[in-house]
Amino acid sequence: MLRNALNFPLKTSLPRVLNSKLNSAVFTHAIRMYSNEITKDTLPLKYGDNPVIRYTKNHEWIASHKDSNAFIGITKYAADALGDTTFVEVNEVPVDVEAGESIGSVESVKSASDVYSPVTGKLIASNEALIENPALLNEDPMGESWLAKIEITNPEELESLMDHKQYESFLEDSH
Amino acid sequence: MNSKVARRAYSDLASLKKTPLYNIHLKHNGKMVDYAGFAMPVLYNGQTHVESHNWVRKMAGLFDVSHMVQHRFSGPDATKFLEQITPTDLAELKPYSSSLSVLLNDNGGIVDDTIITRQDNDTFYVVTNAGCRDKDLKFMESEAVKHGFNIKHELIGGGLIALQGPEASAALQKLTTENLKDLHFGHSKFISMGGLIANNDKVHVSRGGYTGEDGFEISIPDSASAVVFAETLLDMESVKPIGLAARDSLRLEAGMCLYGHELTEEINPVAARLSWTIGKRHKAEGTFNGAKHVLHELNAKTSLLRSGLVSSGPAPRHGNKVYDAEGKEIGEITSGSMSPTLKQNVSMTYLPRNLAKTGTEVFIDIRGKKRPAKVVKLPFVPTNYYR
Repeated sequence: MLRNALNFPLKTSLPRVLNSKLNSAVFTHAIRMYSNEITKDTLPLKYGDNPVIRYTKNHEWIASHKDSNAFIGITKYAADALGDTTFVEVNEVPVDVEAGESIGSVESVKSASDVYSPVTGKLIASNEALIENPALLNEDPMGESWLAKIEITNPEELESLMDHKQYESFLEDSH
Repeated sequence: MNSKVARRAYSDLASLKKTPLYNIHLKHNGKMVDYAGFAMPVLYNGQTHVESHNWVRKMAGLFDVSHMVQHRFSGPDATKFLEQITPTDLAELKPYSSSLSVLLNDNGGIVDDTIITRQDNDTFYVVTNAGCRDKDLKFMESEAVKHGFNIKHELIGGGLIALQGPEASAALQKLTTENLKDLHFGHSKFISMGGLIANNDKVHVSRGGYTGEDGFEISIPDSASAVVFAETLLDMESVKPIGLAARDSLRLEAGMCLYGHELTEEINPVAARLSWTIGKRHKAEGTFNGAKHVLHELNAKTSLLRSGLVSSGPAPRHGNKVYDAEGKEIGEITSGSMSPTLKQNVSMTYLPRNLAKTGTEVFIDIRGKKRPAKVVKLPFVPTNYYR
């Protein structure tokens, strides 16, 4: 979802942030409480035992449980890059989605970013509390502020995604 | 976002032009982006976009606008030249007063928007957009040659600093013995800034800006002095550095045009609701660039009109299509965002005259869904100028 998160829509084209490594602190609101791991004691974890956690290059996370139900959200890194979230929208449920298809969007004052489904399945719920209070996204993007719940069709699709360690080194390499 | 792209981004930063305030941006942890070929801050660490925006509405924000192009036109034909390429009646512009204006091509299309300040009788200080720099310089040169005008055209370098917000005046007043109460919106003066400027040179201060708030634009040709001046202001409690992100949301709330969005070479001043820039004398004489087309639009009243919209839900963005109540496509959004001040979405578009009326309902296609919006008067947020 990040590809538009940092845009500044002058002249329609979207400049990239050029010194994000130099200023990586910009992306963290507090003293490096930076974590792209699922927050303990939140629904995406508590829903079942030992969910499979995966990440996409578009900065979504997915927590997949044994009954094929999974929670989707955007990473802490992405939420910090987006800044003050002003609006969250998730497509009407239930609806079938393909891996890589847009399932909603998150917005700050100046940018709107699509959120893409990491896997194929049926979108069955959205996080109404988050939609009503979009600012919650910045508080706990890796936990209570999950975006949508999906019933996964092909659990094998998860294998092509990154685990936490791979995602962190992907972030490192991207800078 | 692969590493190759990121590495290129680094070299991009190195190859970008830097304003005299570049190191100040880094010191304040500015998140730097490529803007019109300059490395410019979009946000600063520790202030979100909304916080930056609100700070300017309540306190004072310092904006580096040194990337903008500052011109000085003088010589016997300077007035004639500017009255050829803009519709502004300069006879009505008294010394040390300014006017928003537009550079026009032969079709009456807007080449750029600009602020013209008369200094002496035949000397004008003109500021144009950084993004139009090359185009404008070429345009100005070819117009001067085409009409055989005898003008002297100089570019002014160094720092250009905008100080904006209700506390701007109190902050600037601390740096000068000049009484700023005597300097009103749309006027300017060369002012001494204590010992802050090299050789104690006076610097050009104009009252105005592009946020809708009271404020000043200070032109400091000596780069080192510009740095000292900016740092002195930033040391004050009431002043914070503000980046491009808030600059854009502030100008949008103030209902002002952004070149490349509301204004293009296909848009004439009548459609842009900038008819007031056309001087009365020029309406009669009709000799400025594109006058035939512009004056025709003025009388025929058939052009689209720049209009403000408010809506809820996702914010309209540049390029979203706009539909009338019957579902007919009627245009697209030129700028849009959530308004931090109004806490609802504001956007601008061009509408046919029968729809460009307060209260008309239109629909904006955002992410494949048509969302209702309502036409409102501009500006969205009332201006707060010192008149």
